[in-house]
Amino acid sequence: MTGSLTRPTRRRLLGTAAALGAATLPQPSLAQPSRTQSLRGTTLVFASWGGAYQEAQKICYCDPFSAETGARVVQDGPMNTARFRTMIESGTPDWDVADITINTLFSGAQENMFEKIDTSIVDTSRIAPQFVHEYGIGCIAWSYNLAFNTKTFPAGRRPTGWADLFDTRKFPGKRTMLNQPVANLEAALMADGVKPADLYPLDVERALKKIDSIKPQTIFWTTNSQSQQLFVDEEVSVGIILNGRAYDASKKGADIGIAWDGNIQSVDYLVVPRGSRHKNAAMQLINTMTKAENQSKLANMIAYAPTNPAAFANIDPALAPWLSTSPENSSRGFVINAEWWRQNERRMMERWAAWKLA
Amino acid sequence: MRPWRALRVLVCTLVAIYLLAPLVVVLIISFSSAAFLRFPPPGYSWRWYANLLNDPAWMDAVGVSLRVLVPAALASTALGTASAVALVRGRMLGAGVIGAFLMAPMVVPSIITAAGLYIIYRGLGLNGTLTGMVIGHIIITLPYVFATVASALRSLDPRLEAAAATLGASPVTAFRRITLPLLAPAVLSSLLFAMVLSFDELIISLFVGSARLRTVPVQIWSNIRGDFDPTVAAIASLCFLVALTALALEALLRRRNGDRE
Amino acid sequence: MEARPSHSRAPDWAPWALLLPSLLVMLVAFVLPVGMLLARAFTQPEPGWQNFVLLWERPVYLQVLWNTVLISAAATPVALLLGYPVAHAMAHGSARTRRLLTFLVLVPFWTSLLVRSFATVILLQRRGPLNTLLMNIGLIDAPLPLIYNLTGVLLGAVQTLLPFVIFPLYSSMKRIDPSLVPAALTMGAGPVRAFLRVYLPLSLPGLMAGATFVFISMLGYFVIPALLGGPRQTMVGQLIQDQISQLGSWGVAGALSFILLAITAILLSVLNKLVGLKAVAR
Repeated sequence: MTGSLTRPTRRRLLGTAAALGAATLPQPSLAQPSRTQSLRGTTLVFASWGGAYQEAQKICYCDPFSAETGARVVQDGPMNTARFRTMIESGTPDWDVADITINTLFSGAQENMFEKIDTSIVDTSRIAPQFVHEYGIGCIAWSYNLAFNTKTFPAGRRPTGWADLFDTRKFPGKRTMLNQPVANLEAALMADGVKPADLYPLDVERALKKIDSIKPQTIFWTTNSQSQQLFVDEEVSVGIILNGRAYDASKKGADIGIAWDGNIQSVDYLVVPRGSRHKNAAMQLINTMTKAENQSKLANMIAYAPTNPAAFANIDPALAPWLSTSPENSSRGFVINAEWWRQNERRMMERWAAWKLA
Repeated sequence: MRPWRALRVLVCTLVAIYLLAPLVVVLIISFSSAAFLRFPPPGYSWRWYANLLNDPAWMDAVGVSLRVLVPAALASTALGTASAVALVRGRMLGAGVIGAFLMAPMVVPSIITAAGLYIIYRGLGLNGTLTGMVIGHIIITLPYVFATVASALRSLDPRLEAAAATLGASPVTAFRRITLPLLAPAVLSSLLFAMVLSFDELIISLFVGSARLRTVPVQIWSNIRGDFDPTVAAIASLCFLVALTALALEALLRRRNGDRE
Repeated sequence: MEARPSHSRAPDWAPWALLLPSLLVMLVAFVLPVGMLLARAFTQPEPGWQNFVLLWERPVYLQVLWNTVLISAAATPVALLLGYPVAHAMAHGSARTRRLLTFLVLVPFWTSLLVRSFATVILLQRRGPLNTLLMNIGLIDAPLPLIYNLTGVLLGAVQTLLPFVIFPLYSSMKRIDPSLVPAALTMGAGPVRAFLRVYLPLSLPGLMAGATFVFISMLGYFVIPALLGGPRQTMVGQLIQDQISQLGSWGVAGALSFILLAITAILLSVLNKLVGLKAVAR
């Protein structure tokens, strides 16, 4: 456990230096000969999305980190991007490490919301390069899927694509969508016949008009756990849910299945809010996340795919149908356009809020 | 008249069920063996109570709640009692207006008070501090203490004090020896109620607290939003139990005090 | 009283000395904060009426304000209808009935609103106990939609509001001579007529006070619509919270608070004119 931890590899240094430019390297790594230092007495706040996912993160990232350093990690959540923003603006963020989606990473990086990743502490060489960002390190790859009740819709009569979410005749019952525009708009447009390649820029009004057709039958979930509870309680029969949450609900006994056509893939990153009082400790916590054994453990708990390629070796093969990175699943979906969302998120949020109350 | 009486009994029974059913349901589900809020539970276990004890977040929250409610309830009881005595016995000009003013936090939505406190605390650096939290809780509980003690005082016969005075007692002595002992049950029950109110307070704590300073309701709130497992049902059951014990205690106090309204 | 010897009178400043600490705390931790928030309505992002203009121009905000009034107005008669017979039983029933009912009605007062709302979510959910019961006894074939809609908000809210109607009603009713109604009956009035003409008018002050309290308490609700309502039941308290924590728009939040407080103040002053707050303050 400690061997690879304390060895800053040459490749890593070269790699990050090339990627970020030598000037952005905050400290010479000599100043910190070891990534692990005792943090007894330090309390970090880790903010994430609550429920089964955060529980898994607590067990797979925070607990090993605490055992290693002696620091305490307080859990906070569920994540609320707007709250994150106001927290940064106040100058003294409550959080030290936060789990955010790639959309927020892009917009937040531009708004100077995060501390730069200290690569003398975080071993970025373990992570596949597409998940390493100047301000955050990818921790999971996941997807938005169409989910359905497997009892109401037995094999052979199951919804398969986004169009079925809007087909209340063939697939009756209440539906659920997110209480925000991300992924809802994409799903509605695909249901309306737009091909994934032609989605962006999103035609918002067309998408909202499509959702209008099921608005009275739709419950909009605010937190991921709520999306699970809606299926467990059979409050809804079809809807949009994250693949890992569907897996967790199914594991705990719910009759839930997911379809993969048009799945919308995304990535979560761990970031350190700008102004965090425990920046170095926060970086150490992120470093704990990068380790293969921690990532594979998390994947086995909630079916979110790792960003450290070495972690795949220890994932239960039975999980393959639930992972967004399995080739047969990833090929049927596409990666969300985080850059488009970065540019349009605020406008979309306002439009969504107005539409919802109308 | 008989059908009307039957109707009254029916409505009272319905109201009783309506008020108690949520408590019963939450108690049952807190012993569920399932990871979700399924009813009826597929089996029974203590696991959610064990979860409470093993999760430092809940134990921290209980600690914070206690550290807030004790000083807040004591302070608001002292302030409220003093104000009630002044306004009821003081024969002051404008007592009615001042009394209404002291009751104002009861009718102003607490989200407004909370947001306002957040603003001034930002300047004072009191957000996320115990002091800030305690002050907020004093404001929320003060009207209830004041109202309880004032109404108890009004129902005490002022002639008792006057009689003591004619026997040569100073007003302070008369108050201490005659009024205060008669008032004690009301003061105690308002202290109890202030503690319960403070323990239940969510919105102020949500605004002026922080991730490191979270009361039980804030922890419940974030759990309900983030997690739908029966751990919340377990803490909720314990909250009910504490509240009902306090309520029973208060009823006892009231009865010892001659069941005055 | 005037015959009291002067040496036994407390000094005139004594009541003020007792009152001063409370007044100070109230000024610093209540008047000042609320004032600062309301002031933001006129000062942020810049001085002027812009926030009110914005509210006026965005139908969504007006819609939420209107929803809030409608939902509160819907909860009020429900609470009154349920509370009236209970208060009646408390006022004119046996001592045991009264004690039992008092205890019962105090339960929502002493148990946390948050925890009760959470419990209500479980109770009312699709596969929850209430739906299961109704289906088992054959009253319904499919689960009723009881939460994430107006029904959910009303069922959740009314239980927390009942004490606010029952206690003012009770204190009105216990002053009514219970022999009045039988007297009216013997004079030939039917029971409904006797109630409407004799009893109801006498209980009116309590009724109005209860209605006003229910209405204004509900205006500021936040937890119950958030947990039990759907998007159409968004209330102004949630909107204020959203404006602050999601958008950081303190100006709009201030303006919404201003309107909310203005409605509250108007209603209270109307009540004061009609029945006098003193009669109600307990």
